[in-house]
Amino acid sequence: MISRRSFLTGTSAAGLALGLGACASRPASGPNTISYWGVGAADKDKDEQVRDAFLMTDAGKDAQIYIDQVPSSGVADMSQIITAVRGGTAPDLWWMDRFNAVQNASIGLLEPLDDLIEKYEDVSPEEFKSQWIQFAVDELTYDGRLYGLPCTTDARGLMYNEDVLKDAGVDLDLFDPSQHTITWDEMDDAVEKIVQQDKRGNYTRFGFAPWLSEGWPYTWGFGLGASAYDNATGTVTLDSPEWQSVYELYADWAERFPYASVDAFFATYQPPNAPPTQTAMFSGRLGIDTTGPWQISGNEKYAPDLPLKFTYLPVAKEGDPTYTWSGGQCLVIPRGANITKTLWEFLKFYAGYEGQSRVVPQYGNLPTNLQAIEEGKYNPKAELFRTMLPNSTSRPPLPVGSAMWDTLTRTKSSVALGSSTPEEAVASNQQMIEPKMALFPDYKMPETYGKPSPVPGS
Amino acid sequence: MSVPDTVGPQVTEPGVQRAAASDRAAARPPDLPRRMNSGQRRKLRTGLLFISPWIIGVVVFILYPVIYSISLSFTRYSGMEAPTWVGIQNYVTAVTDPLVAKAASNTIFYAIIAVPLGLIVALSLAIAMNQNVREVALYRTIFYAPSLIPAFAMSFIFIVFLNPQFGVFNQVLNLFGGANVNLLGDPTGVKIAIILMAQLGAGNAALIFLAGLRNVPRTVYEAARVDGAGPIRQFFSITFPLLTPVLLFNLITGVSGALQVFTEAFIVTNGTGDPDAGALFYMMYLYKNAFGFAELGYASALAVLLFLAGLALALLIFWLSRRFVNYDVEAG
Repeated sequence: MISRRSFLTGTSAAGLALGLGACASRPASGPNTISYWGVGAADKDKDEQVRDAFLMTDAGKDAQIYIDQVPSSGVADMSQIITAVRGGTAPDLWWMDRFNAVQNASIGLLEPLDDLIEKYEDVSPEEFKSQWIQFAVDELTYDGRLYGLPCTTDARGLMYNEDVLKDAGVDLDLFDPSQHTITWDEMDDAVEKIVQQDKRGNYTRFGFAPWLSEGWPYTWGFGLGASAYDNATGTVTLDSPEWQSVYELYADWAERFPYASVDAFFATYQPPNAPPTQTAMFSGRLGIDTTGPWQISGNEKYAPDLPLKFTYLPVAKEGDPTYTWSGGQCLVIPRGANITKTLWEFLKFYAGYEGQSRVVPQYGNLPTNLQAIEEGKYNPKAELFRTMLPNSTSRPPLPVGSAMWDTLTRTKSSVALGSSTPEEAVASNQQMIEPKMALFPDYKMPETYGKPSPVPGS
Repeated sequence: MSVPDTVGPQVTEPGVQRAAASDRAAARPPDLPRRMNSGQRRKLRTGLLFISPWIIGVVVFILYPVIYSISLSFTRYSGMEAPTWVGIQNYVTAVTDPLVAKAASNTIFYAIIAVPLGLIVALSLAIAMNQNVREVALYRTIFYAPSLIPAFAMSFIFIVFLNPQFGVFNQVLNLFGGANVNLLGDPTGVKIAIILMAQLGAGNAALIFLAGLRNVPRTVYEAARVDGAGPIRQFFSITFPLLTPVLLFNLITGVSGALQVFTEAFIVTNGTGDPDAGALFYMMYLYKNAFGFAELGYASALAVLLFLAGLALALLIFWLSRRFVNYDVEAG
């Protein structure tokens, strides 16, 4: 018979052992050990390809690289990484949406790379950074310091289904980027021809609506000259007339194509969380959509026989310059990482020519490394988007980037639904962001932000 | 609400109970400080040791986070750098933030409809589970089964259920000649969808109601029947009054759950709360601020305000409960 004392001692010891066991620790760290966080199980093979290539090099021959995929539960959900950093289990290298870099740098989540460049490289930081396209470097720069190395990038354009346009009697030459950049008026006419409805009034074939897919306020904002922040005065400018014209664009289209009806069309033919094969475009029910080069791999995989083509975003009038914007990914070193020369070499390898030329063609996006761009290390079908890069830019690199994106997107749906006017939307955006940005007085985006990014061979 | 005199010895009037309690208090000698002997001290130590997992759990996982959250609410804190004291700034911001008002109104809309509806559904289920038929065990299983489906799985089921073209909801609508609608694409519709979704989890509250129903003495019903009361009269004069303590429990847990609605809205709106912030519930906005915008100080202030609102509602319900809760029944 077990005594009470033995029972209590035993249960206490077991509880303590369980408690200590639950406190998991990161893999043993050493000068050649790297723990890496990717963001998607589907891309694990790409990470492994780069790792295996790195292990074949002199710099990487003794390295041990542990790859984990830690997807985020939202566009800017930082709970996993913040918890890991605070818990002392942060990865040494993290594959992250570049858009969040400045915000994450501003809260102290990331390690600056400038000291590492000076320590390990024979060239100046400026010369080192010149290996990558300028707008991607700007997007990783906070208070003059670099917080990551850019990897993939993209651009926005229109994708159209030639079969649908032909069937509707639309002149395909209007959509041929080598001949013409389509205007908003021409879009209106084309869309009217494409749309079909059943007897109940449901759309059975739809043309285009500016709030769909990549039709973010930033997308049209760059074309209409809207800027979110004035570097010279240090003020938020989300209530400018240019921003109001972005929301007027949504309101005008929603008047002709009611949000609820368009939404019902998409929920029918492309419901949320549907498999990638089930899209309104693939089923021949959508004529035109706003998208980017990442779409190419999906088209090849799921609709190889459909004549899906790309062109520039619509402009106000013939002869206006084309416009777009670019997002993408980067590699960063979270605070608390085991910073070693091996880590630096792997980071440089992955984000540099070697890594990008291996993985970017598989992602379907574009490289940010200039040598990789020059040598065409991307899907040839993305060539149109590659030509957009020199005049592209990123979303404004601001420490309130997530909140700004959130509010712009929310008011987009308010205006499209008709629950806010464009005036109310821009006033609301300004009201939401101004106090948040006030916490960063005299903040300056990089001087080069918004200026052309030279690309060799362009 | 009183109970007919025919209830017999198992039910006593509240006034009689209170008088008896006050007599016992008067008869008891005044409490004097007593020193524990070594045996009692050992028993106390052993007792404390036995409940130590609970004590540690409460201190580490409830008390410390609550106090820490309250202290963070007076700071600007990103989760990384040391918190910066900002006084009541976060509370001032919360009062003027239009999205706090929007999120609070969405949550109140949800609570006002979902909680009473949830009680009615749960009570109906409990009554159905309490029928004196041979296959009652099967019915109980069927009625309770939906409560076992996790919220995230239920959300995906509802996305399909409400699909404008193929979903059952729109198929029924089409029978009456209506055009297809996407309930999840409308700011009010999405809230209603989430309220409907919550009703499939009513099985838990129904089990508690069922326990309450089983606790009502049969003699009360027999006496009522003798007096000529029909089933409806029996329900409103016996069942419902004697279930009010259980109703109070389900009401408080229901309100508490409604104030914290999150998972379903997060999944059906992909974490955005859109369209037009129609499904941006208070907890979702709090979560966005904490982990999307790295404003943990502000999120903590929102959490404190939610706690205070929840506390105020609970106190209000307790105060109101004196008017409608009947504790007259004893275990029969």
